[in-house]
Amino acid sequence: MKVLPAICPSCNSQLKVKSLICERCQTEIQGQYELPTLARLSTDDQAFILEFIKASGSLKKMAGLLRLSYPTVRNRLDEIIERVELAEESKQDDKEEKL
Amino acid sequence: MTEIAANTKAANSNRLSHRFDKLTIEWLFNPFRFIAGFKALLLGLAIILISVFVGSFSNTHFDGVLDVHTGAAAPMWLFLAEGIINWICMAVPLIFFGLIVSRSSFRIIDVIGTQALARWPYLIAAVVMLPDANQRVIVYIMSKLTQTAPAAAIGSIDVLIFGFAMFVTVLMIIWMVALMYRAYAVSCNIKGAGAVITFIVSLIGAEVLSKFAILSLLG
Repeated sequence: MKVLPAICPSCNSQLKVKSLICERCQTEIQGQYELPTLARLSTDDQAFILEFIKASGSLKKMAGLLRLSYPTVRNRLDEIIERVELAEESKQDDKEEKL
Repeated sequence: MTEIAANTKAANSNRLSHRFDKLTIEWLFNPFRFIAGFKALLLGLAIILISVFVGSFSNTHFDGVLDVHTGAAAPMWLFLAEGIINWICMAVPLIFFGLIVSRSSFRIIDVIGTQALARWPYLIAAVVMLPDANQRVIVYIMSKLTQTAPAAAIGSIDVLIFGFAMFVTVLMIIWMVALMYRAYAVSCNIKGAGAVITFIVSLIGAEVLSKFAILSLLG
């Protein structure tokens, strides 16, 4: 399965969505859309968030599932929170630049 | 075809052995990635108890957070108190600095549990101090230093055993400090210069505090 790229491989800038297509009727929409914050994270981070939701947001359960200690899992979550905050900040900066 | 299969098998086995090596190293130098909290506390306390019990056979005192000394015979409660004092004296300043420096909401049980478990290399130090040869060499050195007649003659085997015990003990002290730092970094989620500085300050403070506490027990 292809992985949705979020960062430009050439200049490391944030990528945007230019077109969307309906596979059924081939309708294509062109524009410039922002990637949602979660889609901007790495696939590893996205997988972690998915598991976290499935574990009802319980770090204890996550620690058991991943066979890691509670603080290790909590530290990983803290790192993701930092990246989410950064992604949101850059989104906000983009909006301000446009204005 | 068989060559490809053999290559794939070799690559898989290489990957497995690499993974095994990485896991072993992590278990040795950062077990807190896998174990923390109440489990670490129970295991750590058991190890502290066994270490002081083994140490009591050779009168090995852990009379300070970083200290390992062979000394006078003492009641069991003193050995036990030394073990508990060392652990608490290290955990308390780390919790204090963790509350100040960490931006994460950490659990105190993780700090005290991992700090207890981090003391496990001292079990090995207690074991290598068991042979009587160590006591004979120490008595000999002390009598030389205090200019009194040697209590008993020592052989080259005694010196070898003593040298080995000293070497292993120094290694275990270094290993324990590394483990205590990793325990602090993982349980409080602190990295970089802030982690190193607060850890060193805590270690020095804990060493002084534990020495005072143990000396005050002796009267």
